[in-house]
Amino acid sequence: MKFNKMLAAVGVTGMLVGTALAGCSSDSSGDGGSSDGEQVTVELAGWGSTPEEKELLNQTLQEFEDAHPNIKVEHEVIADQYMDVMKTRLVGGEAADVFYLDAFEAPGLAKTGVLEPLNDYITDEFDVDDFQDPLLNAFKFDDKQYGFPKDFSTLALFYDKKAFEEAGLEGPPKTWDELREYAEKLTVDEDGDGQPDQYGLGFSSELARQFYKLQPYGANVVNENDEAAFASDHAIDALKPIVDMKQNKIAALPSDVGTDWGGDMFGQGKAAMVIEGNWTVPFLENNFSDKDYATAELPTVNGEKATAAFTVAYVMNKQSEVKDAAWELISYLTGKEGMKTWTSKGLALPTRESVAAELGFDEDPIRKAFVEGASYAQPWQAGPNLPTINNNFNNQFTSALLGDQSLEEALKKAQETANKEIKASN
Amino acid sequence: MEPARKETPAHEERQSKPPKKGKRPKRYMSKGMKEGLSGYLFMSPTIFTIGVFVVIPIIYAFYLSLNDVQLLGGIGYEFIGLENYTRTLDDTRAIIALKNTAEYVLIVVPVQTCLALLLAAALNSDIRGKNAFRIIFFLPTVTSSAVLTIIFMWMYNPDGLINSFLSFLSLPTYNWLADPDIALKSIMIMNIWATAPFFMVIYLAAMQDISDSVYEAATIDGANWWQKFIFITVPILKPVTFFVVVMGVIGTFQLFDQSYIFSGGSGGPNNSTLTVVLLIYQYAFKSLDMGYASALAVVLAFIIMIVTIIQKKFFGEEKLHD
Repeated sequence: MKFNKMLAAVGVTGMLVGTALAGCSSDSSGDGGSSDGEQVTVELAGWGSTPEEKELLNQTLQEFEDAHPNIKVEHEVIADQYMDVMKTRLVGGEAADVFYLDAFEAPGLAKTGVLEPLNDYITDEFDVDDFQDPLLNAFKFDDKQYGFPKDFSTLALFYDKKAFEEAGLEGPPKTWDELREYAEKLTVDEDGDGQPDQYGLGFSSELARQFYKLQPYGANVVNENDEAAFASDHAIDALKPIVDMKQNKIAALPSDVGTDWGGDMFGQGKAAMVIEGNWTVPFLENNFSDKDYATAELPTVNGEKATAAFTVAYVMNKQSEVKDAAWELISYLTGKEGMKTWTSKGLALPTRESVAAELGFDEDPIRKAFVEGASYAQPWQAGPNLPTINNNFNNQFTSALLGDQSLEEALKKAQETANKEIKASN
Repeated sequence: MEPARKETPAHEERQSKPPKKGKRPKRYMSKGMKEGLSGYLFMSPTIFTIGVFVVIPIIYAFYLSLNDVQLLGGIGYEFIGLENYTRTLDDTRAIIALKNTAEYVLIVVPVQTCLALLLAAALNSDIRGKNAFRIIFFLPTVTSSAVLTIIFMWMYNPDGLINSFLSFLSLPTYNWLADPDIALKSIMIMNIWATAPFFMVIYLAAMQDISDSVYEAATIDGANWWQKFIFITVPILKPVTFFVVVMGVIGTFQLFDQSYIFSGGSGGPNNSTLTVVLLIYQYAFKSLDMGYASALAVVLAFIIMIVTIIQKKFFGEEKLHD
């Protein structure tokens, strides 16, 4: 019996030590409430970006802190796998008060109820009507506004003026048929090894860079039940041209030529044209400053103008303990003043019409194409299941591009797998 | 109560002292008990750590695998029995992941075991500078796998070192990273290169234990070096081979970091680098579907267990010296 007692004692000691250890890790933050006059800290989380963007954001945050001396902003950069980290922290109750949310993930996250609806915070002064509707609606579900878009980017065509000159071309292609002809002329294989040294077009195979072609053909990414619905004849018509171009070796993926993305591909001269967003502009300025290029609106798809819009909002954590201060931050960053500072260099485009008019990016020769695209752009968003659908599409579409299976087969398989996964997870 | 009358558990006794013949004095038992207790006392930090970080998570994962777990927006469990397990049968990606992993195990384990054995045999012979070679061969094992993967990704770049070398030799070049038929093989090559030396060291240690007299006897009987290797070294190393293969199988079944870095977490291109553990990660942290992810983890554990049991049957009893 004594033996057992001793054993129990050891066990208890072990547990006590353990509890003490566990105690160290428990929450020790909890910076006060939001009562007036008191110093309040608001945590802001986002993903990493270029040094220029970081500097601009710091400047905006500094201006905010100067205007609100009782609020301190703690900015944290999540370097990798942003949504995985964010979701895990939301589950653990450790997420920041205000954080970035991509429109692509917004429906899924809003559905779980971890976001604070912002309708009750909005004041007249904030002027919601000033936002561009499609971008605002990307964060509006069941009449609740969960976030305000901080900026957006659209896709446009970048083309290499020198390569155009060498091929005897002038001005950008206006339609996808023309794009194909141009790409053929722009593909150069200098050493004749069958692998072009300069491809006509560089493109990304992800659904995010392809989905905007579906609508002009009357196809959709999802149906009304938020299930994948892209395996239609219309969708095949929409995606066939790019698959053909890739298989005829007049278009290539960045990975085909050992680059990470289209901007790099274009900068290195491995593609004479790329379809990329306005984030490419500062990249080219910094890394390939002598590149002589121009931008144009995307060629028309089936006779219609089409492009994609990518937008990110500031949203509020429902578990935040400093909601009033968090709203102050959101309303400043997405307000006229904050947005003007943030978008002043044109790294991203303002979502407020008044700011856009004031900054006058529609006059800028390079940025004009992106601003023009905003009026008809389709936001990259399609219901709460888009992450699953996206993953399956990307996988199958890659194999269709490589010619391992037909486009029809690939789309069908992707749709079936995605819908099976969606059904199993609900 | 008289403590001396209590019987000491058999394993306690073995731990404290080798068993003695004849009648034990009364004092001995209480001493054994005391020693056992102090043993547990010393072990308590480890027992606690393993309990909290290994045993409880295992039991908890098993429990989770029987539930539909809701994490975001209020934590909720719903007992659904074996539904998560039946779901694996109908999950295309789970089957692809299992296939990829099996292919990976079937190729990597034999190759790395043979390579380790050959390297060890080479280093066990009397070549010059073998200490330098030991260090060089062992370096990849000491390097972090994340760093290795990133360096290999540069070398695998279409314009990288490996393709330049291949085209210099007029051999065909490959798109090592982006071609679905090749991507998994790129990871295999990298992993064999990185883990074979670790097992080489184990083989080397065992080889140095083999008595010279056995080889001498074989020499007198007229055996050449190859016969000595095949009929003496390999059979004597059988228990070590068992260990190497089991550890290899467990390690390769759990492939995660390399394919994660290779594909940026997606398992692409075209699911070709999707492994079971990567799929578990995706379900657990991307979809936050902890119940299903746990079920997949339990399935993987069972597969590894079964494979190990089969190997044990195949290799017989593991014992270094009879």
